[in-house]
Amino acid sequence: MLRPGSVGDDLDAVTPALTEAFAEVREALEAGRPVAVVVDARDLLGQGLPLDAAVATGLLGMVRTLGIEGAKPGWGVNLVAGGEGDEAAVEETVAMLAGSSLTGQLLQVGGANLGKVVP
Amino acid sequence: MSGAGTAIVTGAAGGLGGRIRERLAAVGHDLLLVDLDPAVEDVAAAAGARAVVADLTKMEGVGAVLDAAGDDVAVLVNNAGITRDARATKMSEADFAAVIEINLVAAMRLTLALEPRYRDGAAVVNMSSRASLGNFGQANYSASKSGLVGFGRALAQRWAPRVRVNAVAPSLVDTPMTRAMPPDVLAKMVARIPAGRIGTPDDVAGIVAFLASPEAGYITGQVLFACGGRSVAP
Repeated sequence: MLRPGSVGDDLDAVTPALTEAFAEVREALEAGRPVAVVVDARDLLGQGLPLDAAVATGLLGMVRTLGIEGAKPGWGVNLVAGGEGDEAAVEETVAMLAGSSLTGQLLQVGGANLGKVVP
Repeated sequence: MSGAGTAIVTGAAGGLGGRIRERLAAVGHDLLLVDLDPAVEDVAAAAGARAVVADLTKMEGVGAVLDAAGDDVAVLVNNAGITRDARATKMSEADFAAVIEINLVAAMRLTLALEPRYRDGAAVVNMSSRASLGNFGQANYSASKSGLVGFGRALAQRWAPRVRVNAVAPSLVDTPMTRAMPPDVLAKMVARIPAGRIGTPDDVAGIVAFLASPEAGYITGQVLFACGGRSVAP
């Protein structure tokens, strides 16, 4: 499971955050380990800090591409988004993904996304 | 200075940037064209616009734009971008980082730096991509263009009602870069577009102009896919 921290208002932290996440996820996938990237649902919807939103949605774009590229080798890489109070549901979802064939998917737990645009 | 205010277009030396600047000039904006490519100076001279040659990944570059922008910015179009495609297994971290830095962070840096300069009712239009939904060989590009969407969503909420922030997500667009692709590869890609053709710079520029205009005054935080239906096709 990869859960990047907040970059706050630090523009210089965005590229390292995404690049390190890419390297870490790729290393796990090449080693045959499934990966769940976890982000805050508020960031995915742009309800938090702008740079955290950029990182969260950037990770989603990366995960979707890795899902496409990893179809043949059978990579399992997904993104889980949960809000405050959704910790148990996030953990449950991450555990489920470890034994699943799902890949390249966005799994939104809790209700923060209901009635909102699909990221 | 025009009554329509200043419109800043990055990546303005390229083909798509050219059509965008023409659309914005047609509705009376005072154009400030920005590019790393010095050719933007000739482009601006021919268009009766001002130019700034700047590297927006550096604060000095952003500072040069701020020096020229004035205090009545009506439109910012973040159009500058690069590709460094490779399968994830072959992609260098340097290439991943370069695309994020130029396509995403540089755009965010300029957008944020201009905050005190926007007029009431200003519009920011970010050039995202259909590839933000995922695209083989473009982990870096997908992340950068998807990141722009999230950034825009957050700013749209933070800056409303003073400034609107939206994104356009094109698919293949007829530019020198796509024309350089092997014809058989290009034909296969076009075959996946329900519209049956590659997009034109005009297709995209028209949507940018619309999102920048008062007609889109009730639209903010959104992404408009200008991809001939590619985003919903198999």
